[in-house]
Amino acid sequence: MTRHQEPTRRDVLKIAARSAGFVALGGVGATLAFNRGPDGKWQICPSKCIDIRLGATGVEVCDLCAVSCVLPLSAVRAVNDFSKCGRCCICPGYFDITSQVGPDGLPSRKLCPRDAITRKAIGEIDPDDPLNNFYEYTIDEARCNGCGKCVMGCKEPAGLGSIRLEVRSDLCLDCNRCSIAIACPHDAMVRDVADLTKAEA
Amino acid sequence: MAERGLLFLVAAMILASTVCTTAQVQYQREVDVVPGEEDIGGGYKTPSVQRPRPRASWWGAVDVCLLMTALGLSSWIVLRQRSRKGFVALTIFCLWYFGFHRQGCVCPIGAIQNAAVVLTHPALTIPLVVILFFLLPLVLALLFGRVFCGGVCPLGAIQELVLLKPLQVPRTLDRTLGLLKYIYLCIAVYFAVQPAAHRDFIICRFDPFVGMFRFNGPAGILMFGGALLILGIFVGRPYCRYLCPYGALLSILSRVTWRGVTLRGNKERDCGLCVTACPYGAIENMRVVPSSCLFCARCFNVCPAEADEENSG
Repeated sequence: MTRHQEPTRRDVLKIAARSAGFVALGGVGATLAFNRGPDGKWQICPSKCIDIRLGATGVEVCDLCAVSCVLPLSAVRAVNDFSKCGRCCICPGYFDITSQVGPDGLPSRKLCPRDAITRKAIGEIDPDDPLNNFYEYTIDEARCNGCGKCVMGCKEPAGLGSIRLEVRSDLCLDCNRCSIAIACPHDAMVRDVADLTKAEA
Repeated sequence: MAERGLLFLVAAMILASTVCTTAQVQYQREVDVVPGEEDIGGGYKTPSVQRPRPRASWWGAVDVCLLMTALGLSSWIVLRQRSRKGFVALTIFCLWYFGFHRQGCVCPIGAIQNAAVVLTHPALTIPLVVILFFLLPLVLALLFGRVFCGGVCPLGAIQELVLLKPLQVPRTLDRTLGLLKYIYLCIAVYFAVQPAAHRDFIICRFDPFVGMFRFNGPAGILMFGGALLILGIFVGRPYCRYLCPYGALLSILSRVTWRGVTLRGNKERDCGLCVTACPYGAIENMRVVPSSCLFCARCFNVCPAEADEENSG
C-alpha cells in the first residue's frame, strides 16, 4: 500500500517515459496530419502508358499490368469508349490484322488471347453484305486481364484509339505500394485524386 | 559512290520484300470519324461505358470506427471482463473483417512505412485513414499494452486460432529471437525512406499472411506463411513475437504502459498455472510483462482465483 502513497523512483521514471511517449506520438501525429493528403486512387496515366500513349505504335505490347497485379485477375481492364469507337468491320483491336484473310473477307485470327471481346452487328444490318455493317465491340470484364493487346491494336493510325487500359477501382485493393507501379517501366501507374482519363481527354 | 548506291538498292529490296511477306493484309482504316447514331441507324443508342466508382470514402471512416471499436472491445474484454470466450469471438470477427474482407489493407504494420516515407519526404502525403491506423494502436499501447495484437490484428488472429498445442519456448531463445523484430523494423524503415526509385515496402512484400487473405500471392510467400502457421500450432504466434515490426514498436511503448494486464495475486495459492498457460512467455515472477503480453486472456482462463472471483461475483 505504501507504493500508492509514495511513488518510487521507478514509478516516476515510468510516468516520465509514458508522458514522453505521448508527446512523441502527438508530434508524429501532428507532422503526419500536416502532410495529410486526400486518399488518391491508383490510376493509369494515359500519356505515360506505352500501350495507350500515341506515337508508340509498332512497339511490343507491354503486358505488365496483366501479370504484376496481386489479384489473380488483374484489376486493370481494357475499356472500349463507345463514344470514340469507329465500329469498324475489321477492327484492328479485335482482329489480328496481319493474319491471313479467310473466305469471309475477315482476318482469320483474333487479337485477344482470352477471347474477351464480342463483336456484334448493329444498326441497319445488311444481311447480304456483312462487310458493309457497323459492328460494336464489347469487352467482357470477367475475361479481360488488361494485357493491352487490343489497346495497342486500336491505336492511331490503325484505329481511332477508343480502347484504353483502366484500373477497375472496385476491384483494386489500394495496396500501399501497387505492385504494377513497381513493375511499370514508364511510371504510368500513379496514385492520384483527379480522374486522369478525363484530364487527358 | 556507285558502291553506296548499290548497297542502298539492296537494302531497299530487302526492306520491300520483308514488308510484302509479313503484311499479308494491307490494312486500311475504315473510318476517320466516329459514326453517329443516325449513321448507324436502326434506332442504335451508344451504350455508356461502365465506370465502377471507387470505394466510397465513408468506408474509410467505417474502417477507422471498427478499428477503434475493436481496440476498445479488446481492452474491455481482457482488462474488465477477463473473458477468453469474448476474446476469441472478437478475434474471429477481426480476422474476417480486417483480414479476409478488407484483404489485409490498410493495416498498421504496413502503415509504418507510409509514416516513415512521409516523415522523411515532406512533399508526399498520407491519407487520414492511414495516419489513424498507424497511431491509434500505439496510443492504446501507452495506455494498456499490446491491445492491438490481441484480437484486433488479423495477422495475429490467424496465428492465435491455429495455436492448439502451445509449447514453452526457452527464455533465452525467446529473448534472442525477439530481437529480430527490432532489426526487421530498422531494415523496413531503411528501405521505405529511400528515394522513390529505390523505395521498397518490404513489410508488405514479405507479409506472410496477406496472400492467404487474398487467396493469392507469390508461392514463396504463401509457403512461408504456411510454414509459420504450422510452426504456430506449437509455438505461439511466431510472427508477432519474433518478426512483426509493428510488434516491435508496440513492445517498446508498452514497457511504460499505464494499466496493463494484471493477475490476481494470491499468496496462499501461488500456483503458477498462468505461467504454464501463457504461450508467449509473458509472465515472469508471477507478474505480466506488458511488452510481451499479447492480450490473449489464456491466463485468466486457468486461474483458480479468477474462478473464485467469478463465482462470488
